[in-house]
Amino acid sequence: MSRAAPGAGAVARRWPAGRAVGVGALIVLVVLAVLPLLGGTSNATLLTLTLMLTSIGVAINWNLTGGFTGYVDFGHAVWFGIGAYATAILISLQSNGPQVGWPPVPAILVGALVAGFLAAIIGRATMRLKGPYFSIAMLGTFVALREIVRVWSPLTGGGVGLTLPPYLNRMLFYYVELALVAALVVGTWWLRRTRFGAALMAIREDEVGAETRGIDTTLLKTAVFSFAGLSTGLFGALWAYQNTFVDPDIAFVEVRTIDAVMGTMLGGLGTVAGPVLGAAALYWVRELLWTHLLDAHLLAQGVLLIVIVLFVPRGLVGLVDRRGTSLFELWGWKGWRLEGRRLHRGPAAGGEAEAAS
Amino acid sequence: MTALLEARGVVKRFGGLTAVDGVDISVGAGEMVGLIGPNGSGKTTLFDCLSRVLDIDGGLIEFDGTDIGRHRPHDVARLGMSRTFQLIRVYRDLSVAENMHLSIQWGSLGVPQLFARTDAAARRRADELLDFLLLGRLRHERAGNLSGGQRRLLEIGMSLMSEPRLVLLDEATSGVNPTLAADIADRLRAVNSERQVAFLLVEHNVQFVADLCERVVVLDQGAVLAEGTPGEVTQDPAVIEAYFGDPGDDTAGDDRVGNSPAGAGDGTAP
Amino acid sequence: MSYFAQALINGIALGGMYTILVLGFSIIWGVMGVINLAHGEFVMVGAYLAWMASDFWDVDPFVSAPAVFAVMLLFGYLVQRVLVNRIIDRPALVSLLVMFGISIILQSVMKVTFSADFRLANTDLDGAWRLTDRLTVPVTRFWVLVVAVGVTAGLNLFLGRSRLGKSIRAAAQNREAARIVGVDIRKVYAVTFALCIGLTGVAGALISPLLAVQPFQGPPLTLKAFAITAMAGLGSVRGALGGAMVLGLVEAMLALYVDRIGTNLAVVASFVLLVAALVLRPQGIFKGLRHVDATST
Repeated sequence: MSRAAPGAGAVARRWPAGRAVGVGALIVLVVLAVLPLLGGTSNATLLTLTLMLTSIGVAINWNLTGGFTGYVDFGHAVWFGIGAYATAILISLQSNGPQVGWPPVPAILVGALVAGFLAAIIGRATMRLKGPYFSIAMLGTFVALREIVRVWSPLTGGGVGLTLPPYLNRMLFYYVELALVAALVVGTWWLRRTRFGAALMAIREDEVGAETRGIDTTLLKTAVFSFAGLSTGLFGALWAYQNTFVDPDIAFVEVRTIDAVMGTMLGGLGTVAGPVLGAAALYWVRELLWTHLLDAHLLAQGVLLIVIVLFVPRGLVGLVDRRGTSLFELWGWKGWRLEGRRLHRGPAAGGEAEAAS
Repeated sequence: MTALLEARGVVKRFGGLTAVDGVDISVGAGEMVGLIGPNGSGKTTLFDCLSRVLDIDGGLIEFDGTDIGRHRPHDVARLGMSRTFQLIRVYRDLSVAENMHLSIQWGSLGVPQLFARTDAAARRRADELLDFLLLGRLRHERAGNLSGGQRRLLEIGMSLMSEPRLVLLDEATSGVNPTLAADIADRLRAVNSERQVAFLLVEHNVQFVADLCERVVVLDQGAVLAEGTPGEVTQDPAVIEAYFGDPGDDTAGDDRVGNSPAGAGDGTAP
Repeated sequence: MSYFAQALINGIALGGMYTILVLGFSIIWGVMGVINLAHGEFVMVGAYLAWMASDFWDVDPFVSAPAVFAVMLLFGYLVQRVLVNRIIDRPALVSLLVMFGISIILQSVMKVTFSADFRLANTDLDGAWRLTDRLTVPVTRFWVLVVAVGVTAGLNLFLGRSRLGKSIRAAAQNREAARIVGVDIRKVYAVTFALCIGLTGVAGALISPLLAVQPFQGPPLTLKAFAITAMAGLGSVRGALGGAMVLGLVEAMLALYVDRIGTNLAVVASFVLLVAALVLRPQGIFKGLRHVDATST
């Protein structure tokens, strides 16, 4: 970490000690990949790790719209539910008596595609809205789609849900999800370097400006939103298979959105490492809270959310790297900025003051 | 010579208020046209209509023979008409060069190029433009650390990155000290003569417009009040009445006092 | 035809319920610019208070409503002092997330205290009045409507006539100007928030005999409040009444014409209304205290 010394006025550095972090990430990946091969890893441990990977994956996807593009989605878990349900429906398709379901791999892939497709349609409409209006519209999408799934019983089994044929190779699911998460991390890391990533940041900071500079903001933000939906749908599809059972209240859970938002916040909004670190940390904190506090764990989580938002707005990554996105620069409140640990209102030091000179 | 930008009868209403009321305006290829008028006369609103940030309620806008009345702003930019803003819109947390790299010709990019880093040609072009605009040595400075005038220059640079044929400049000199304003005028003249870029300038600083433009359009209460050479316009009694308030006082340069950034036509509905 | 008339009656009655549900949310948003994502949870707390009064001491919710108002007023004041005060000038995301945190906390506390069982308060004002042999008026809802209209009229008078009401409106429209003419903004915000949470508690008390009282009843209510407010104009008292009636009628018609599952689709309807209203008319339908503009930053 010796290269991490924050140089005064250094602008171009996006990544705290890039190489050290890269090597660290690789080591973690190798450890996670080798761990189950050492033997003695129980199915329960594998399941716990897989669920953690799911949580990380969903947080990364949430960060694509919420962090990179500035569209804070309060209903992201809906794509998880849609992916899970689409897969479950395909697998348990009935054809006059004997079960004629799809084989798992195409069912999972098509399930994810259904989620991505729906995300494209809904995103096209809701992404016309800004700030809190978008957030609440997505919360509405979530609640509405859950009700539709509950009501549409011929297809979805209604409130009773659907049962999938058991296929319980925990090891396989673990490796698939590990590979997915690794791919997502590399993908977002690359994305931030590309023109596409720059355009997303431009949309987040000033959408009208981006539009007048020739960026097709509608196309790009809808594309990102759809991809996030597809990817979260994929995790949902995999989850449905492992869970062997879906009903509206376990496939569409608010907590999944809350976890993604909180994990990303905790780690650092709009950063590559943020959602990974944050979601992993949150996952273990929650396991801990769950075992010790039982029902009160939600209470602890609410308190934690408030504390993060009020006191650690740049998240874990922000503690190391000064250049992460601060919450306070989102949604037009450019007047606020974080200097050191304090919030200041007014222009940054050395900003407007020079205008007169 | 047909005009590059041709707008006829443009109307924009905010509720009961008609901010732009049947304006005709045209800019020829390579021409520099000034657009002046008192606060609240609808200059910035007209700009927003021309660049399609705002939807128009009536009239016709053509750019290079294409009806752009229903285009989205990025389409307009891709056709070759870029703009700057009265309240500067640079990305403060990015470096000067990174800001320039955000204003490339997005329309010409395929999907693979979208997923690649900014190419050497665009970097070179950005560096050239920055040198040309006297910002070369600030290339790696954070844009938020620039002075107001430097940020104006950066925004002009961004508007030139996509090699436009027409640039709409909104208040290029507001909040800029006189020395830098002279520099900006000089650079604009150079861009105009060397690269044949046409300009439409909204200005409070009448002297600045008179120096640069051969034709000036005066807007008052959302309508065109007068049009002609700077000399003709500043002598027009109606203009003096509306614009300079007190008839007989034709010391145009003094109007700089009224450089308040709060034009009523800045796009916010009442 | 009589089915239609019945749906009309049900819809208006439901609209009355939504009116009282939405007022507090709408005014907090309009005056303070804070979107109270914990709104449904404050309703839920009010409902639990009324249920306790009904279950432990056999007090009718219509009778205990003033007491619930007082308790919730105090609670609202506390929450405002401890948390809301810190987020008023912050970006929308911060206030959304903090209010979201409060909602999680309230849900959790109620679940731990009362379990997730469904409860209903008892009221003597129940049953139905028979108008013809096909048409009935639900009594509880009728009285809720009466209270709602009364509260709406009272609020309108309060905001329009009283000194405090005028300060609240001034603070909503232009904070700086209000401060210059001597309005104590902090006090206005504290009073507004406390008052609105008090109102919201009353809404909870009034619906406690109608909707199952349980820890997780809040989010759909928040969503509906948001839909009505965004449709109607932030902080617009008359808009709240109008928007609530529209949503009530749509839901009642759905319940009537879409057999059995219509009630489940109600929340879908409010969402569709919300998005349609925002996309088609981003500036809101009624003139509120604060400018609605959903499509520009």
